[in-house]
Amino acid sequence: MMDFITKKGFRNLAQGLIKDYVFYGPVTKDGFPAFSRIEEFSQLKLSQTPSHISAKGFLFPPKETLLRFDIEKGMAEGVADAEKQVLFGLHSCDVHAINLMDRVFSYGKPDVNYLKRRENTIIVGTECVPDEYCFCASIGTMTVDEGFDIFLHGVKGGFIARAGSGRGRSLLKKYASPSKTKRAALKELERLTEKKKTLFKARLDIDDPSLLPLVYSFADGHPVWEKIGAVCYGCGSCNNVCPTCYCFDVRDEVSMDLKKGTRSRVWDGCTLEDFAKVTGGMNFRKTRADRLRHRFNRKFRYLADRFKGLFCVGCGRCSRTCLVKINISEVTNEILRASKERPLAVPAGKSKG
Amino acid sequence: MVLNCEEEFPAIVELVNIVNFREAMSERSNDYDIAFIEGSISRKEEIRKLKDIRERASVVVALGACATTGGLNCLKNRFPMEEVKSIVYGKDAGLKIYDTIPAAPIDSIIKVDHRIHGCPIIKEEFLETLKSLLMGKTPFTPNYPVCVDCKLAGNICVFEKGMTCAGPVTRAGCKAVCVTYGRICWGCRGLTDDPNISAHKETLGRYGLAEESVLRSFDLYGGYALEKGRGKKNA
Repeated sequence: MMDFITKKGFRNLAQGLIKDYVFYGPVTKDGFPAFSRIEEFSQLKLSQTPSHISAKGFLFPPKETLLRFDIEKGMAEGVADAEKQVLFGLHSCDVHAINLMDRVFSYGKPDVNYLKRRENTIIVGTECVPDEYCFCASIGTMTVDEGFDIFLHGVKGGFIARAGSGRGRSLLKKYASPSKTKRAALKELERLTEKKKTLFKARLDIDDPSLLPLVYSFADGHPVWEKIGAVCYGCGSCNNVCPTCYCFDVRDEVSMDLKKGTRSRVWDGCTLEDFAKVTGGMNFRKTRADRLRHRFNRKFRYLADRFKGLFCVGCGRCSRTCLVKINISEVTNEILRASKERPLAVPAGKSKG
Repeated sequence: MVLNCEEEFPAIVELVNIVNFREAMSERSNDYDIAFIEGSISRKEEIRKLKDIRERASVVVALGACATTGGLNCLKNRFPMEEVKSIVYGKDAGLKIYDTIPAAPIDSIIKVDHRIHGCPIIKEEFLETLKSLLMGKTPFTPNYPVCVDCKLAGNICVFEKGMTCAGPVTRAGCKAVCVTYGRICWGCRGLTDDPNISAHKETLGRYGLAEESVLRSFDLYGGYALEKGRGKKNA
């Protein structure tokens, strides 16, 4: 469904959603794009480049209560709070990331807290342009066809609004007075999409990104891990800004009389020193190099094998946040270079990339 | 900060018997199980006192940046003690009462079981430590850098804003309160267990700090640890 909404229609849509829901969208924070609670239309600042921290926290909060317990009564009850909310201004990569998170939290025993929040979340995507770290075009996430309720593409005079769900369609009708999109606007969108492909400064040197799990499966002994391990802080910023890093720690807190308490989960990250430390002080991944190799493998190999999809969406946030300039597309290209020197056994029918 | 726990004190005194609290009560007893020790060591006689407390208490907790890292007091260690004394006390510097030794954290003298970091400490962390000890649980002390707390708080990185900070090598647990309110991290919770000091020196250099300023930036709270070789592995 390709509807057209005018600029006024856009304003009415955003204002209506701000009024009727708990609304999170892009704002300018200290001069940079960030997601935040928005209560007035004037706060909304659509950003074309990615927010520094992804929007995952609105579906998977940095700290979230899972359980309340009463030690004296021997009682414990699950907590799953989820208000109806709107996530506005997500880019294509962010929506892809949420689709991956949906798979993660539905896998095995479904995660009630995430899924309930997800069900109560209306997602409105908006168009973007790459910054110097974005490489979604290399990974197949530059455009998106599912996972959103509405996706907006700016064109002359307004926006092309794609409804991705029945809910999205009714919201458009309710707030934005959609009309039929004219042929010229569709042509313009096509042109803009083609132009976007030429704007990327970062890219992966591979034609078929679905080969990346295979490429990474030969990269465990690559010297790049020691190289980046030497400069890594182990600060976990790459994990925390990533829209698909979902690891967490579970902690209990009790009341001062030691009788009642809560159990919460808190974001954790595989690049942190204590992540793989177990009782007795043993650590499965002692060095920063080990931990980085693990993270890269999670993004390009382990989770891709389990969930059938790369867990890097090419948003470039980890590269931007890294103070020592560990750059995910450059590291991957280094690995690709080595794989080209020693060609892989490629499954029949797939290009070598 | 401990005295600010007015709301919790009724529940606390139900659980523990406070026998010695110099800032809050006049009665004193030396029969105790858990000792919270505040402040760094800067006089010889404090060494004896510390050892005495260690002998009596089964659990010793270092409370606050001075006790855990030596704190700002360690800045004086850069100078000869005689010079420090004469700057502060002038012509009285020679009096015995002003004798001083280089400042040091308490774990340089005695074994410390747990640490409550920060300048100031965070009330909730003090209470969590106390509760954990009473439940026989190891208190949770973060061993990751302040960058984690910054991201959890949704902050724009200090370095993106054109400033520098000690966050990437400083132990978190403060909810990045200084950065959240527009300042930088000065490192009051001390270094993490395995800080990448050489990376941080390089980063600070890349962001325009001269070498001397880079070293100074560690001095405020990290001076003692670096002097004694922590982080040397990566220095």
